[in-house]
Amino acid sequence: MTSRAIKAALFGSAMAITGQGALAAEGNTITTVVKISGIPWFDRMETGVEAYAEQHPEMEISQVGPATADSAQQLQIVQDLIAKGTDALAIVPMDPTILEGVLRRAMDRGTIIVTHEADNQINTMVDVEAFDNSDYGTALNERLAECMGGEGKWTTFVGSLGSRTHMQWVGAGEENAKQHPGMQLVDPNNESFDDAQGTYEKAKEILRKHPDIRGFQTSAGNDVLGVGRAIEEAGLTGQVCLVGTGLPNPSAAYLDSGAITAIGFWDPQKAGMAMNEVARILLEGGEIKDGMDLGVEGYNAVSVRPGAGDGKLVVGDGMVLADKDTYQDHLF
Amino acid sequence: MRLDPNFVTLSVLVALLLAVGGWVSGGTYLSPFNLQSMAMQLPEIGFLAIGVMLAMCAGNGGIDLSGIANANMSGVASGIFTVAFFDAAQQPVVFTAVFAMGCMIVGTLGGVLNGLIISKLKVTPILCTLGTQMLFTGVAVVLSGGRSVAVGAHDPLYSIGNGTALGVPIGFLIFVGVVILLGVVLKFTRYGVRLMLTGANPKAAVFSGFPISRILTTTYAISGLLAGMAGVVIAARNVNVKWDYGTSYLLVAILIAVMAGVRPEGGYGRVVNVMLSAIVLQLLTSLLNFMGMSNFVRDLAWGLLLLCFLAVGRFAVIDRIVATLPSARSPRAPS
Repeated sequence: MTSRAIKAALFGSAMAITGQGALAAEGNTITTVVKISGIPWFDRMETGVEAYAEQHPEMEISQVGPATADSAQQLQIVQDLIAKGTDALAIVPMDPTILEGVLRRAMDRGTIIVTHEADNQINTMVDVEAFDNSDYGTALNERLAECMGGEGKWTTFVGSLGSRTHMQWVGAGEENAKQHPGMQLVDPNNESFDDAQGTYEKAKEILRKHPDIRGFQTSAGNDVLGVGRAIEEAGLTGQVCLVGTGLPNPSAAYLDSGAITAIGFWDPQKAGMAMNEVARILLEGGEIKDGMDLGVEGYNAVSVRPGAGDGKLVVGDGMVLADKDTYQDHLF
Repeated sequence: MRLDPNFVTLSVLVALLLAVGGWVSGGTYLSPFNLQSMAMQLPEIGFLAIGVMLAMCAGNGGIDLSGIANANMSGVASGIFTVAFFDAAQQPVVFTAVFAMGCMIVGTLGGVLNGLIISKLKVTPILCTLGTQMLFTGVAVVLSGGRSVAVGAHDPLYSIGNGTALGVPIGFLIFVGVVILLGVVLKFTRYGVRLMLTGANPKAAVFSGFPISRILTTTYAISGLLAGMAGVVIAARNVNVKWDYGTSYLLVAILIAVMAGVRPEGGYGRVVNVMLSAIVLQLLTSLLNFMGMSNFVRDLAWGLLLLCFLAVGRFAVIDRIVATLPSARSPRAPS
């Protein structure tokens, strides 16, 4: 991928070189479109996409994403890639509903569409999920309840109210918390927009508003960092529990200090590879079957269910919960 | 006749980008499908940029930051109303008409609110529209409960965003129609002339007995109407409307207006330049996407482009080039 860095640097003169890349349309281009580029979660996914590209040198595989978290920007990229004649798109939608129109047009035109983190996407061929979302939400909340001793006020963060998986996780979490009558949910579903700074500000507000809060369950990849910082700065490390989606490397310091109780995740690297593998199978005219092995860890025996539309829902087994003692096993 | 430097620069850039795009992509960039695809993407941001332009022309620090929020509010409010009272499958034409009218009415009301606050309460436009931006966003969130509102993919609404007539996207045709209409209004009607004069010198306009507050209110109302139209196009294209769509459009719309040579101090701006400027940004963005460039490169390219335009305007580059051409040289001796 160094060639891409050079391309960016030699922006003007590289135009002719990249022209050859843009030309290719022999049924072998797969482009992964992520929610936002340049954040750790999707950087990790890019390593998977790159690894997959190395395994399949005959394919033209790359990853792009908008610079700002705005579904309109992602829509524009998807639309341009379709017009360019990309054969298959592996998309992590910022907001599945906003992409319905363009994906419908894409499939009408014969573009292969694979999505991830969007099990309500109607206009997709296959949606790949790392795990069953309610199982994951339940697991996160159970870990939180264990830390809180089943007592006290707690709240939830989601990337955005439109992010369906996040809403499912906190929804399953709320269900699970009902088993612990001592747990009281306050001000739920705060929107973080996956921005650590914004989450930090919001978490500080919540800590001020509810000085007796005991737990946070967060959803987007950067939320644990923002909330963890707020907890640490408030000197509440160890008194307030924080369980949420996060990546081991960025969270390491807070896991060590105890500001983060535990992180849950699936490996975006593996998800990126699985999406590309599904796209490749579809490009070759193959079929996605229940129990099939996608050749990626956590996706060795996927369960296939009917999707929200005419497409399929592929569910893997890629959930990981890590705390202070175990995060070292998953450093990325 | 003196050439309009912005018009010339923008036209040259459009031609240049098309040529480079065609060359780099080996023709795919100039394929009808891509040209249609780009033309489909254009209207929503184009409407918003014209709204910003009108507000800027009105002078006195005029700007409209509430455009995209107003567009989303229009789409959400009209969408909820229309879906509740009309069946898109049974009466698609009525559904589309009611939805579009609803969007434009809500958008205009939002614009009138801006205009009244600015002209009657004398609140600075940037503060007023920043406030109404949050208000409109809030209204859209409350109405929709934060979820997206599905207007569905029924013709003729769907075809406004996705259909073509004689190969040209319908949304783009509507946009061009609006550009022509507004261009005529600004140039030939009393309102248009007074708007520019007011922007050029508000004090003189007051002493000339111009109905300033009516001019301002009309201007922001038109800006709101355009936002409502953007709402229609967004809904038609995406099948769904949502309160947080296009948050990045706010700055892009201002960028387009400034690149089009609209004077931020007021008094000057051409709709056709705004359209060209929006086309330039669209061509550039799509070209970078075609080349698989990072979106951060796009931001960088936009920034460079803006600086170039400011330089071209500041140093009168076009006039100097023209002056070097013997045929275009003024017969008068240089003073």
